[in-house]
Amino acid sequence: MRYRRPLLALTALATLAACGGGADAANDGDGGNPVKGGTLRIAFWDDAQGCIDPNQVYWIESRSLNRQFADSLTDQDPETGKIVPWLAESWEVNDDATSYTFKLRDDVTFSDGTKFDAAAVKTAYDATHALGAKSLLGLTYTAGYKSTEVVDDYTVKVDFDQPNSAFLQASSTTTLAILSPETYRQTPEERCTGDNLVGTGAFTLDSYTAATEAKLSRRDGYAWPSELIENQGDAYLDAIEVSYIKEDSVRVGSLTSGAIDIAWPRLPISEADQKVIEATGAGIESRSLPGISSSYFPNVGAGKPLADVKVRQALQKSIDRKSYASTVFWDGYPVVSGPFDNTTPYATDSSGVLAYDPEGAKALLDEAGWTAGADGYRAKDGEPLTLTIPAQNTTPGDQLVQDQLKQVGIKVELNVLTLAQYQAAAADGDYDLLATYYTRADPSVLGSVLDSGVSQAGTAQLSQDPATKKEISGLFAEGLQDVAEDKRAGTYADLQKLILEQGVMFPLYERVQTAGVASKVHGFAWTSEAFLRANDIWISQ
Amino acid sequence: MTSVKWLTSSTARYLAGRVLQAVIVLWAVYTVTFGILYLLPSDPVELQLAAANVQVDELSPAELAAAKQQYGLDQPLATQYFDQLGGLLRGDFGQSISLHRPVGELLAERLPSTLALGATAIGLALVLGGTLAYLAAYVRVAWLKTVLNRLPAVGVSLPPFFVGLLLIQVFAFELGWFPATGTQGASSLVLPAITMAVPTAAMLAQVLTRSLDDQLAEPYVATAAARGLSRQYVQARHALRNALLPTLTLLGLLLGATVTEAVVAETVFSRPGVGQMAQQAVLAQDVPLVQAIVVLAAAVFVVINLLIDLVYPLFDPRITHTPRVS
Repeated sequence: MRYRRPLLALTALATLAACGGGADAANDGDGGNPVKGGTLRIAFWDDAQGCIDPNQVYWIESRSLNRQFADSLTDQDPETGKIVPWLAESWEVNDDATSYTFKLRDDVTFSDGTKFDAAAVKTAYDATHALGAKSLLGLTYTAGYKSTEVVDDYTVKVDFDQPNSAFLQASSTTTLAILSPETYRQTPEERCTGDNLVGTGAFTLDSYTAATEAKLSRRDGYAWPSELIENQGDAYLDAIEVSYIKEDSVRVGSLTSGAIDIAWPRLPISEADQKVIEATGAGIESRSLPGISSSYFPNVGAGKPLADVKVRQALQKSIDRKSYASTVFWDGYPVVSGPFDNTTPYATDSSGVLAYDPEGAKALLDEAGWTAGADGYRAKDGEPLTLTIPAQNTTPGDQLVQDQLKQVGIKVELNVLTLAQYQAAAADGDYDLLATYYTRADPSVLGSVLDSGVSQAGTAQLSQDPATKKEISGLFAEGLQDVAEDKRAGTYADLQKLILEQGVMFPLYERVQTAGVASKVHGFAWTSEAFLRANDIWISQ
Repeated sequence: MTSVKWLTSSTARYLAGRVLQAVIVLWAVYTVTFGILYLLPSDPVELQLAAANVQVDELSPAELAAAKQQYGLDQPLATQYFDQLGGLLRGDFGQSISLHRPVGELLAERLPSTLALGATAIGLALVLGGTLAYLAAYVRVAWLKTVLNRLPAVGVSLPPFFVGLLLIQVFAFELGWFPATGTQGASSLVLPAITMAVPTAAMLAQVLTRSLDDQLAEPYVATAAARGLSRQYVQARHALRNALLPTLTLLGLLLGATVTEAVVAETVFSRPGVGQMAQQAVLAQDVPLVQAIVVLAAAVFVVINLLIDLVYPLFDPRITHTPRVS
C-alpha cells in the first residue's frame, strides 16, 4: 500500500505571494521556450560552516548546492508540504511510526556509474546516523534510529526504537540525501571538503573550496526527478558557479552590472536594494524559511520577572509585530502569525493571540503587581521590571522591541556579548529572553528547542515550569507518534496554542529568504525548505 | 665596495644575534597567542567544539570525551602547548577546526594571492607616496605645495573599506574596467591593491616629505647649490638619499601591517586570501588556524625588519653592524 499525505492547506500562502514582488518577471512563462546551455553564476553571502557534505551541513547556502547534486528518497511539495516519491516510488509506515518500508526506483545510477539500490540507502543512512553530533540536523532527523534493513535489491526497511513520524519529511531533506557507497569510505572531514562527493543529482559537484567557490556541471542522462519538477530530463544549465560576496552593496552591484545572475543573501534584501535590482529588470524571489520563526524564549526560573505567567502574557501583547515587519523590513513583509513561519506544514494562524494590545498588557502587569513609576518603567517591591536579552550584536529590530516594551513600562537591557560569553550566558540561564530559530519543514522541529525531555538546551529547560514541561513534552511525543494526518494536525495545533498562551515562546518575525534574479534567468524555483531548485532554470541568450 | 664591507665576520655575528632574537620573538608571539586563546574565561573545549559545529548540549559525557580526544583537547595544557609548538617547528600547523583541513595546506593555497596583493600594494604605495613626497618637496608654487603637503592627511583619514567600496562602485560597476570580486587575472589585483596602497602611500609620503624638507634645509644643500649643481640634481642625488632612512624604517612597519590591511581589502573584494581567512578564523574561534596566521604574520614582520636593518648601510655607510667594543 502506498502511503500519501493529503493536501495541506497553507492559509498563509497568499501573504507569501504578496511579498514576491517582481518575481514573475524572472520566472518562466514570459521567457519563451527553455533553451539548453549557459552557466548560472550565484553569489551567496558567506560560507561559515565550510563543509559541503549534505549529511553534515546545516548551513542554508550549502544545502542549496547539495540539492543540485544529491537526491533523497522523497521530495516535499513547497506549496502543500506533502511528501511525494523521488528515489523511492512508494512507502509504508507502521501504525506507531517506528518502521518505514521504502520501495526504491530501479533505474537510478550515481554519477560514478554505480547502481542506486537498497544497499546504497543502508550505507548512507547508517553513515549519516554514525555522524552523531557532527550532523546536528541528522541527530534530530534520525532520532531513535535503530537500523536499516535491506529487504530485497530495491526495498529497504528503516526501524526506530521510538516513534518518529517526522522521519518521512526527514527522508526528503538534503541531510538524508543518498551518496554513493564509495563516498562513505572517506572520513567525515574528507567528505566535508567535497573532493569526492558522488550523488544521483541532476548536477555533479566538480569542485568546492570552502568560503571561496563551488562549481557544478550538468549530469547527462538524468531521468529521475520528483513529480514536483517540470523538466523531467537533463537540466538546462551547463554549469553553476558559486561565489561568496560578503558586502551587500558589492553583491547587489555585481547583479545589476551583470557579473552574477543571482544575488542570494541570508537576511532579506533591503527595500532600497530591491528597488535598485528591479530597476535593471531583474526580479526578487522570496519564500519564508519553514521552521521556527525568529522568536524569544523566556527564562522562567525562580526570582526572574518572567516566572509569572501574567508578565509573560503581557509581554506577548506588548510586541507590535506588524510594525516590526513593516519598519525593520518593508510594507507587505509577512507578519509572523505563530511559532512557525507560514511555510511550515501544520502551522496554525495564531494572529489573535499575538495581536498588539498595549492596554491589555498594562492591565496584566498591574494585576501582577508591577506598577508604573515616575520614569515610566514599572517596579515591584523596589525591583525594576528589567528584561535582559543577550545578543552578539544589536540590530534595529532589537532596538525597536526595546522601544515597544518601554511603552508598557518594561525595560529591556540588550547585553552585547562575544560568541563565547553568549554561549556561557545561554548555558547558565543568565538571561530573561534568548532569541533563536530553526529551519525545517516539519513542526516536530520545535521539539529540539522546546522539548525538555529531548533537549538539554536552556530554551527547553528554562522556558517552562514543571507542569507545562510535562504537558509540552507529552504533546511533542504524541506528535511523533501520530501517523494519521488529521491527528498530527490536531496535536500540533494544541501545542502551538499552549505555547503561545503560556508565554513559552514570543514570535518576533518571519524569516524570509530573498534572491535577486537577473531578467535572463527563467524557471527559478524554491524547494520546500527554501533552498534552490535548479532543474527548471534556463538562461535566455 | 659597500657590499664587501657589509659581509665581514662581525656582520655574520650580528646576523646570528639577530636571527636568535627573531626566533625568541616568534616563540614569544606563539606563547602569548596560545595563552590568550586558551586562558580566556570561556571553556576552550566548548569553543572549539562550537567552532566545529558540535553542540555541547547534545553530547553525552562519553561523546564529549571522544570529541575532546579528536581535537587533542583531552591532554593537559602543558602537553598541548608543547605538542603544538613541536608541530610548528616541524612545519606541521595542525588541523583547522572550522575548515576541516590541514592548516599548512590552507596557508599554501591562500598565501600566493595575499602575497601578490601585498606586493602590488606596497609597490604602488612606494611609487605613489614617493612621487607625491618628491613633488611636494620640489614644487615652489606656494598653494600647490600646500595642497601636496595636505594630500597625505586625506589619504590616511579615508577608511580603507570606504575607498574599496567607492572604487568598486566607480571602476567596476559604472565603468566596468576591473572586476569587483575574485582573483581571476592581474586586473582583479588593481582595485584591492589601490585600496591597500592609499593609506600606506599617504604615510610614506608624510614621512618622506618631512625628511626631504629637513634635508633640503641642511647646509650641504646650499654648498651643493653654490657649486653650481641644479636643484633637481641636489634633491635627487643628495637630499633624497639622506631622507630615505626614516622612510625605510616606516616601510618595514607598513610591510608588516599588510596582513591586517589585507583583512579589509580581501573582505570587501571577496578575495579568498590569508587576511579573509584570518577574519573567519577569529570569528569561528578556530584556534589552530588563528595561531598559525599570527605566527606567520609575526615571522614576515621579523624577517622584513631584519632585512631592512641589513639594508641600512647601503643607504648610509655610517651605519655598520659591527658589535660595539665593550
